[in-house]
Amino acid sequence: MTIKLTERMQAWIEAMGCHLCVATPRGVPYVTLGRYASVTADDEVAFALAQDEFAIISPALTANPWVAFGVSKQGGIRASFQFKGIGRFVNEGPLFTEIAAEAKEVQGIDTYAVLYVKVSEIYCTKPGAEAGQRLDMMDPDAVCNWEKERWKDIPHKKTK
Amino acid sequence: MVKFTEEMIEGLRVPGKGGSLVYLCTSSLDGKPNIAAMRFVATHMDDKILIADMFLLKTKMNIKENPEVALAICHPLEEGRWWVFRGKAVDIEYGFPRDFDWYGANATDILNEWGDWNKSEPPDEVPPDIVFPKAAQRGVVVIHVEEAYSIEPGHAGEKIL
Repeated sequence: MTIKLTERMQAWIEAMGCHLCVATPRGVPYVTLGRYASVTADDEVAFALAQDEFAIISPALTANPWVAFGVSKQGGIRASFQFKGIGRFVNEGPLFTEIAAEAKEVQGIDTYAVLYVKVSEIYCTKPGAEAGQRLDMMDPDAVCNWEKERWKDIPHKKTK
Repeated sequence: MVKFTEEMIEGLRVPGKGGSLVYLCTSSLDGKPNIAAMRFVATHMDDKILIADMFLLKTKMNIKENPEVALAICHPLEEGRWWVFRGKAVDIEYGFPRDFDWYGANATDILNEWGDWNKSEPPDEVPPDIVFPKAAQRGVVVIHVEEAYSIEPGHAGEKIL
């Protein structure tokens, strides 16, 4: 199915950053913060990581590219979604420098690596009957309408 | 063996009592991670974190095949709660032997005190468009914490327990 993060999902991800979860091939999970997040395509999010944040997840992600992430701060309750996909680190070139420059300007982060996650699964995490519902199985327009029927709050995006 | 600080004990309570919303991170045995926000959280003994088994799906499946978990504070981080706890978890469900023991935590004690969590600490602070219409608790997840590290910017990865 085609993955398209909704406008509201994108706004929450970019406004709050995300908690990033990876696991070793044998299933030992690790968490780090993706404080600066930028939606770079309909189904892709880039996270600027400082060296210490990168070091927490690098060994596991190098061996197993799966990443699960949820929105940080108030987004943990207001943006009731879990996103999963395949991640890759970028340490140089234009894909690195553009995100690193934005992260430095907006949040003062000295970016060591940019984690790009290609989202392939979206789950509803609202407690109750819809917990665990896979949204990526729906048509993108249907996901947008489904979300608008439940929530309309869109946080202010980051400013440069 | 670890021992929670007073700040951690304060922070690892339900948000309505000054605690935190937390992210519980699990993984399938073959390494597919899962992250889900949890509201019903408490500490028990010096080194146990409790989570209500309420609407758990993938989290529950993962714990049943792989006890390795990580728990991070989701909100409020800015109050100095830059913590990630790592350890081993079990979901003590109703039907477990009442003398079941998880690293010193007893199933009867756990279920007697936290087995009807929605009644003892109702989610009054949760917005109406998020809160569930009816609680359905099946047990209590008990995390035996073995270590903790920081995710504070500039100190990420430093061991704190």
